[in-house]
Amino acid sequence: MASMSLLPAGVRPVDMSQDGPGVLVLRWSNDAVTQHQVRSLRLACPCAECVDEWTNQPRLDPESVPADVHPMRIEPVGLYGLQIAWSDGHGTGIYTFETLWSLAAETQDKSPSE
Amino acid sequence: MASTSEVHAALKVVDLPDLKSDVVSLGFIRNLVISGGAIAFDLALALPQEVPDSWVQQQKQRCEQAVRQLDGVTSVHIKASASVRKPGASQRAVMPEVKHVVAVASGKGGVGKSTTAANLAVALVRAGHRVGLLDADIYGPSMPTMLGVNERPQPASDKTMHPVSAHGLSIMSIGFLVEQDTPMVWRGPMVHGALNQFLEQVVWGALDFVIVDMPPGTGDAQLTLTQRAPLSGAIIVTTPQKVSLIDARKGLKMFEQVKVPVLGIVENMSYLIADGVDGELDLFGRGSAAIAAKELGVPFLGEIPLEPAVSASGDSGVPIVVRDPECRAALAFTALAARVAASLGADTKSKQLETMVWQA
Repeated sequence: MASMSLLPAGVRPVDMSQDGPGVLVLRWSNDAVTQHQVRSLRLACPCAECVDEWTNQPRLDPESVPADVHPMRIEPVGLYGLQIAWSDGHGTGIYTFETLWSLAAETQDKSPSE
Repeated sequence: MASTSEVHAALKVVDLPDLKSDVVSLGFIRNLVISGGAIAFDLALALPQEVPDSWVQQQKQRCEQAVRQLDGVTSVHIKASASVRKPGASQRAVMPEVKHVVAVASGKGGVGKSTTAANLAVALVRAGHRVGLLDADIYGPSMPTMLGVNERPQPASDKTMHPVSAHGLSIMSIGFLVEQDTPMVWRGPMVHGALNQFLEQVVWGALDFVIVDMPPGTGDAQLTLTQRAPLSGAIIVTTPQKVSLIDARKGLKMFEQVKVPVLGIVENMSYLIADGVDGELDLFGRGSAAIAAKELGVPFLGEIPLEPAVSASGDSGVPIVVRDPECRAALAFTALAARVAASLGADTKSKQLETMVWQA
């Protein structure tokens, strides 16, 4: 299972879709599918406002994030990540494909073939 | 009857913490009309990003409540709307009809990156491809000189412009837009904004390749370009010296970090050919780049000789591949172009995801 948290080289999302109001679904180039609770994604925002850039200590208080927080818009960033504009006004974090992959690996088995 | 200033004062309680101000100070209250006890105005929310309609309605209600508390107010009519004001907030596609965008980069300046980009581009034209050249070296744009063009691009619409044509290329350079001896004294955020705008504003049309002459190094400008230009791959130009190779490695690592495939390393100034020189003179340690490429696991794309005609040609505004296509350096650039075209193949660029708008 440990190795599954590493994104295989060259694999990236090829499609984004929405499953109900709170789940982002990514389909990857190796046919894996991952599901992401959007509030968990918001709480995992990697930007310097939410995570201290030197110590990696979390700076975001989960209590301060609305329960119904959701993306407004999701933009691709180059060939390596996604940037999400959130309903709470936040939007500076870039979620790299590796980050998204390993976040999903913590909660689910994403490759049905294995 | 309430006065305009009383209404404004009352509305100041409607604060927007995200914008660190209130609706009055932000200029969101427009067209205020007071007629006896009836008050009407527009609440025009200009926001950094899209918001749910429920949020707009909530702000409208807060305004209404605030105004209703004034003496003598009998009715309040508010027309609420929201717009996105941040420039580039909703990104426009960059080079949508271009099959392959190739970055020509170097870790260090002065290694012949722009010369390589210009000659690679014209060599691709000679091979029958439709080619654009984007000079994104904001701090030292050299394409106007190297290609002998310095005209203002023609506008295509209010916000867009056509590239300039020369040597069979579609060319755009930041050098076309500023005076030649004006330096760009810019901090990171300005670089980011300017490049973004620049990338979105050029109408390239349908092309097989756009070659991007990157600024040297691994800073803000390079990062913005890798984030916004849909790169199919990158070529790293280096000279054989150790100082140049060390920085070439850094450039390569940057592309790896942002998942842009490195098509390979080119060794420029590999050896000298000149009148009065017997054969090929190894000046800087020919072959070091090939060794480095092997170590780094990327293809070695070839050696370009140091030939005085190459730089004289660039200074005169006609790339060597056009001026003297049979000389050694020109043949080396032509071989490089063939390798680049072959390594990208006929496939179109890796499809980028499209922006997704969430349905709340």
